[in-house]
Amino acid sequence: MFEFAWYNGRRRIKGAGALTVGLGLLTALYVYMFPTITSEVNLDEYAESWPPALREAFGVESLSTIEGFLATELYAFGWVILLGLYVAYSAASLVADDVEHGRMDMTLSLPVTRSRVLLETFASMLVPVFLVNLAMPVIVYVGVAAIDESIPVADLVMVHALSIPYLLAAAAVGLVASVTFDRADIAQRAAMGVVFGLFLVDSVTSGTDFSWLGALSPTRYYDPAEILVRSTWDLQGAALLLGVTAVLVLVSRELFRRKDIA
Amino acid sequence: MSAISVNGLTKEYGDVLANDAVSFDVEAGETFGYLGPNGAGKTTTIRTIMGFQSPTTGTATVLGADVRDEAALVEARENVGYLPSNPGFDETATGMEILDLHASVKGDARREELLELFEVPVDRKIRGYSTGQTQKLGLVQAFMHDPDLVVMDEPTAGLDPLVQQRFNEFVRDETASGTTVFLSSHVLSEVRRVCDRVGIIRDGRIVTVERVGDLLDRSGKFVRLGVAGEVAMDDVTLDGVHDLSARPVEGVAAGAPAGGGSTVAGTATELTFTFTGDLNALADFVAELDVLELDIEEAPLEEIFIRFYDDEQVSA
Repeated sequence: MFEFAWYNGRRRIKGAGALTVGLGLLTALYVYMFPTITSEVNLDEYAESWPPALREAFGVESLSTIEGFLATELYAFGWVILLGLYVAYSAASLVADDVEHGRMDMTLSLPVTRSRVLLETFASMLVPVFLVNLAMPVIVYVGVAAIDESIPVADLVMVHALSIPYLLAAAAVGLVASVTFDRADIAQRAAMGVVFGLFLVDSVTSGTDFSWLGALSPTRYYDPAEILVRSTWDLQGAALLLGVTAVLVLVSRELFRRKDIA
Repeated sequence: MSAISVNGLTKEYGDVLANDAVSFDVEAGETFGYLGPNGAGKTTTIRTIMGFQSPTTGTATVLGADVRDEAALVEARENVGYLPSNPGFDETATGMEILDLHASVKGDARREELLELFEVPVDRKIRGYSTGQTQKLGLVQAFMHDPDLVVMDEPTAGLDPLVQQRFNEFVRDETASGTTVFLSSHVLSEVRRVCDRVGIIRDGRIVTVERVGDLLDRSGKFVRLGVAGEVAMDDVTLDGVHDLSARPVEGVAAGAPAGGGSTVAGTATELTFTFTGDLNALADFVAELDVLELDIEEAPLEEIFIRFYDDEQVSA
């Protein structure tokens, strides 16, 4: 068992490593800049001048503390948007790219069920999701300590732990796109479009009469600012995201089992 | 039990009828050639019997497993090898990594032996493989778990003539040791060398299924006859002559020494035709002529093929 999960997972290590290094450098830059910026500008006054929708989009709570600064600059952008889109994009090619390039025929000629191929292939997405979330808290903690600031360890751990259900949900959106379309680039665009579109819906409607629409977006259930600034952990939201992930994966599996491989 | 049994298999892609009530059986232990021009529907049949797509109507069984029953088909696939046309492999992997992955789910009792035979650069990344090398890697994975049935779509495409020959010998050896082989091709000469029976498909419909030997008998001989003097087409009164052509040529005197130089200018005729009649009648006919040159060959399968299609087109 798990031959395909191991095989695909191993092939994701390099990319996930590069992603971690990139995000690590971005983090180092933010943390390094923080003391300089806060000594020159009052970021909270600056953020007050932002339109409310923009503040909401980036989860601006307080930019003058390291927690608030990281929540906005690193997590709202790096995790919710960048990583969310990255996993949706990667997952979108899981099936579609193999179908497009004739590799799926080769895989399905083996004595394996489609269900197993799909589930194990999706499982390989755990590699980037876990690798980034295991390495980054360490980098952030060390970085923050290096500028003589501090950040609550529990909140730091939770901001990463609770991002995992969010990222898996984004990956599951990608998986649905991947079994729906036979061309990887279309599946990728569709997946990123949906994930980014839902993020926009959530942030634009926030504070309006249409805020209920944002409940459709995974971003509603993972709020780094809430976790880092207010130490509020939305465990229910995380459970909901895991449930949605499971449903989307099962839907993908059903679609894949009925699909004519083109 | 038939290794493959296709029963009224129909597959539609939108408005296109790729397979129209296709039926044939492949007996255990035989080598069956599935012939047809590009676009005739060969790959559609193959992909359906492999379970990559479901039939619109009709069905097929592979080693007894109905292709619509995934659980049964998965079990049967443990004893099935498959080589698609243009096999797709993960280009970032080495050949060895691919074979290791395949081996982990289906076994690889014969991997070493096959790698010696087909010489695949397994330590290199597949990105750097030539078409022929990719095809050879595909062959190794198709046979390495010692399957009872091997399904191959255009297997010799991309192989150089030497490897093609090695492939033909290999297939004959495999069949001799009991493996059933089902292969598609539009290259008829290659099918004729390895197959016991052929099924011919055209526009999604099976035109004929018969033994290669019968097909060749029925197709007769290709005759090229050089005779002195003028012979008109009407003078050829033999039964069983098809596609007759007669053209005047510069006559070469019978008995002239080889090497040219002593060409005798004169009238001669070259007759070419396909002959499906009694060979004795042909011998009698030839005996009455002043023969300069005579070649009698087995009609190339290509000719038969064309005739099948032409006949069909006339009646269609």
